[in-house]
Amino acid sequence: MERRDFLKSLLLSGLSLKLDPITYAKPATPELAVIEGEDPEAITREAIRALGGMNKFISRGDKVLIKPNIGWDRTPEMAACTNPQVVKALVEMAYQAGAKEVIVMDHTINQPKRCYIRSGIQEAAQQAGAKVLFTDEQRLKRMKLNGEWLKEWEVFQDFVEVDKLINVPIAKVHSLSRVTLGMKNWLGAIGGSRNRLHQKIDQAMVDLTAFFKPTLTVLDGYRILVRNGPQGGRTSDTKLMKTVVAGQDPVAVDAYGVTFFAYQPSELLFLKLAQQRGLGKFELEKVRIEKRKI
Amino acid sequence: MKREKSKKYFWLQRLRIFSQIFFFVLFIFLLLKTHYAGEDYLKPTVERYFHFDPLLALTTIIGSRLLYAALLLSLITVLLTLFFGRFVCGWVCPLGSLHQFFSFLFKKARLLKPQKDDRQSLGLKYLILVLVLLASLLTVNLAGYLDPLSFVYRSFAVFVSPLIKFAMFEVAGLAYHLGLKSTGQAINQALENLALNSTFQNALFIGLFFLGALLLNSLKERFWCRYLCPTGALLGLFSRFNLLKLKIDPEKCINCHLCSIQCETNARPYPADEWRSSECVYCNTCAAICPTAAISFPLRWKAEKIRGVDLNRRKVLLTSLTTLLVAPIFKITSHRQRSYPALIRPPGALPEEQFLAKCVKCGECMKVCPTNGLQPALTEAGPEGVWTPVLVPRIGYCEYYCSLCSQVCPTGAIRELTIEEKTQVKIGTAWVNKNRCLPYALGKSCIVCEEHCPVSPKAIQLVRVETLTPEGKLVSNLAPFIVQESCIGCGICENKCPVVDEPAIRVSSIGEHRSRKNRLILEVQDENEGESNH
Repeated sequence: MERRDFLKSLLLSGLSLKLDPITYAKPATPELAVIEGEDPEAITREAIRALGGMNKFISRGDKVLIKPNIGWDRTPEMAACTNPQVVKALVEMAYQAGAKEVIVMDHTINQPKRCYIRSGIQEAAQQAGAKVLFTDEQRLKRMKLNGEWLKEWEVFQDFVEVDKLINVPIAKVHSLSRVTLGMKNWLGAIGGSRNRLHQKIDQAMVDLTAFFKPTLTVLDGYRILVRNGPQGGRTSDTKLMKTVVAGQDPVAVDAYGVTFFAYQPSELLFLKLAQQRGLGKFELEKVRIEKRKI
Repeated sequence: MKREKSKKYFWLQRLRIFSQIFFFVLFIFLLLKTHYAGEDYLKPTVERYFHFDPLLALTTIIGSRLLYAALLLSLITVLLTLFFGRFVCGWVCPLGSLHQFFSFLFKKARLLKPQKDDRQSLGLKYLILVLVLLASLLTVNLAGYLDPLSFVYRSFAVFVSPLIKFAMFEVAGLAYHLGLKSTGQAINQALENLALNSTFQNALFIGLFFLGALLLNSLKERFWCRYLCPTGALLGLFSRFNLLKLKIDPEKCINCHLCSIQCETNARPYPADEWRSSECVYCNTCAAICPTAAISFPLRWKAEKIRGVDLNRRKVLLTSLTTLLVAPIFKITSHRQRSYPALIRPPGALPEEQFLAKCVKCGECMKVCPTNGLQPALTEAGPEGVWTPVLVPRIGYCEYYCSLCSQVCPTGAIRELTIEEKTQVKIGTAWVNKNRCLPYALGKSCIVCEEHCPVSPKAIQLVRVETLTPEGKLVSNLAPFIVQESCIGCGICENKCPVVDEPAIRVSSIGEHRSRKNRLILEVQDENEGESNH
């Protein structure tokens, strides 16, 4: 490339950036991609593509940790754990984007092995080449979280040693926080006596999200849990939404997830606290959303 | 005369050692495999060993007056023993092999010096056998404490495998410390996959008994097999007229006593008429070490006079009388009249009386339990039930979709259940202690128990409660309310309750399906009730 051409293109691109989106008819990449479709894998891929592709989030040589919800000894049709196909698609895309290593792990509630196997996540993620690990209590370290409420807590080092974190929660109801989506999923990255966090659950969720700062949140809304949360137990407790919501803003993703249920984002304390903390925005009318059906 | 040892018996001895190693390693391998490996149903593993044990078959069938088909396999053992003697003790039994190995070590260390003309009576084990059999007639099951398979399995499950886990865990910690992250990771991932349980109440006693039994080998070779083992005694009775009889060639014998000194079980191969087939475990040591190859075990059909077991009528009578007096003592307990709240049996456990008659305290259920919740009882089940399995929810809860304990039980004390059946079985009921429960007592939000309740719809429902604080403020929170009818007593609520020392929600055995007495709700069908409610 000639120097002149280079300067010219630099100038043009600079201009176009400044004038965007007026000069360019093409819409800017959305902040939130909401894709509906029959195949969990396909809608996950489409959602990431709509956000600009995995290359936008993952660089060559990155170590990536994908954090699904594998908390319960439940099969996928119970909608207690993240859909294994969604996890699989993300692992594959992370590798395609040049990730050096992709780890999939969660701190489960039931016996880890049962959760990993019966949720189908271990098999699906391994098929895609991920390293599926059980959490290891010798890898816990008490860390400064500098949260509003949680100043320090035991964190599995695997989650802080990686370059990129992808949060892949599933949308479920919960008796205390009313819904459990992306922000609450971070309770699975820590050790210690997690059950005490319930005493101020909304603040705990915000403090943890601020600490972990996920690169990307991909909410599995393929089959959601509408009753008897957060583990269900009957297929009649679930509802097919066939949707995946993805975005970089963890608050916006959760705010959209709330609309799967009979709530408004403004009703939920943790969303308000998160916005006040500057983690993102829950007012969906202010969020650029691309919503499609495939 | 040319002196030469027998080649044939040398190789037979080697083969016997190989067989011992094989069956021991297989036993440990199967023991380690007794865990959730990804399938809901386990293939028969180590419990097969137990099915071939005639003592367990006899005592559990007599004690419970119930036939358990798998235990009929022990007839094969009986039949083989009738023809070929106690070779099972010498070639197969994993505990026997362990004792043999330790005797060997003690001999090498010169802590154990075999005596020349040891005339100590070997009759004790027969008296123990009489005791165990008579007790089972009185439905007191004592076989499990001294049966070699139960003994070795229990010791490994409750004592050795936790030791292995601790050791591995320490090694992993060291590896992490030295910066060998992948080594530490590999060890801990493997440990999670192996699912070794490491917490056992009164593991101390079980461990000390095990170590004690091994140490006894420093007094006499295979001390346990000689003096204590009731299963060996039973096989000894069957083997008296077997076809393989020891024969000493008087022309070759140089009267060196070596065979009798080195006999593993003191069956006294020398002098010729002293040998007792009921004590011989066919280890072939005597024939192999005989400097002149004078000893052989030819197959002989002819009946001949063989020394009987080391017993007399007076001793047997005395033991029987003692048993008849002692066995009922086990039953003088309040546990017979009233159910004990902490006696939460695994799902599928038979009604208590039958359960006690059948359970051989082998610890297979405790080994396989994915949460480590099944524990050897100490006081929970009364004197008869020491070391029988009991669920201790504070250590581990009953995993909802798991019926492994019911699948591995070798005697059917825990009835085999499908996963669907298992989820319907109630083993107890949860109770909220409002004086300790955070929303009730402190006005703090929690609902951890409700979140974990695996039943759908949940057996823990939430009610709104108001708590008055000292400041005069009314705090309102959601608090747990137990739905008795749906609670299955799995204990996950107790296990996960944030009030860790004395949980604010606890499971007790009341309402368990297996008992008709241990119930609280009177289910009277009122025909009009259903309609008036609507």
